[in-house]
Amino acid sequence: MGAAVDHVIPIGMSRGSVEGNDKSQGQRFSSKSKLTALVVDNGGVCCAIQTALLRSYGVGTEAVETGGAAVELISSGATFSLIIIEMLLPFMNGPETAKQIRAIGAQSKVLGITAFFDERDQQEFLAARADDFIEKPLSLEIVIPIIRELNN
Amino acid sequence: MDRNHLKRQVDLMKRSLFDQGYLDEQFIQLEELQDDDNPNFVEEIVTLFFNDSARLLQNIEQALVSVPIDFARLDNYMHQFKGSSSSIGAKRVKNECTRFKEYCTAGNAEGCFRTFVQVKQEHAILRTKLETYFQAYISFMCVFVLVIFALTYICLLFCLYLFSWQDKLDHLGLQEVKLDDYMDEGGSLIIDLYYKYDKAHMIE
Repeated sequence: MGAAVDHVIPIGMSRGSVEGNDKSQGQRFSSKSKLTALVVDNGGVCCAIQTALLRSYGVGTEAVETGGAAVELISSGATFSLIIIEMLLPFMNGPETAKQIRAIGAQSKVLGITAFFDERDQQEFLAARADDFIEKPLSLEIVIPIIRELNN
Repeated sequence: MDRNHLKRQVDLMKRSLFDQGYLDEQFIQLEELQDDDNPNFVEEIVTLFFNDSARLLQNIEQALVSVPIDFARLDNYMHQFKGSSSSIGAKRVKNECTRFKEYCTAGNAEGCFRTFVQVKQEHAILRTKLETYFQAYISFMCVFVLVIFALTYICLLFCLYLFSWQDKLDHLGLQEVKLDDYMDEGGSLIIDLYYKYDKAHMIE
């Protein structure tokens, strides 16, 4: 599990262990969890925050900036419990990335994420077999139920 | 006490940022991600945001003055800007972004211009307020750390003083044994003993 390829990790993020930083409130799910996540976002700030949030709940998280990098990572054998894909990405957009990820057989939970919620974007993501589509920011209210669901 | 005054200042500043709608609960989530492994997380993220967003605002500005205006490009830049603004909890900035998007989607250049002025204004105000907040926070942390060091130093000195007392007491013990031998010579020797002790103490 996890990536063999190293990617840009935003400022301030501790590489640390795969389990990341355990928060006392997350300990219920994090300490035994072997969940991993991939964040696909070319915005440094969003990437950094989403990565830190997931890691604080013990989810080993990697981040990439393009859909192409995500597809390459997964093709090389990396598996993730959760993949969060931004709608607007350079070269290949979010839904196209989701489509390709599914095409190579990834069984992960795929979450489309965007700055401005748009129904057409939502349709596009769901058609690409994403599981859900939300508006930023990625908050605890969204992350906790997903982690619970993945743990069960 | 200076430290308490600084802490109150920091807390008041933070509360006013929330009360006046500059920040929302997303900022609190950022603070909760700050810990011993990431001790400067919030400040680092905020710095990253202002560096990133300065670049995006410049791009938007350039796109707005280009002829003809490329609304798709504008939309793209604003998308990224709004995404990061909402992620750090910059509430007012985020709201102005939403207004901008509406004009952008409608292809309304004038509306875009007007809202963009507001976006830049809110962005600049937030930057100033957060800079002030972090400065106050750092001052408080510096004073806090200095106070801890000072207290530790005082404790250390006190322990050293106690140990030196212990030496003196041991020394006194030896002299007390000697006193027993001279007990029949009266109380004047007690005075002599204390005098000797006091002299030794004064020499030290």
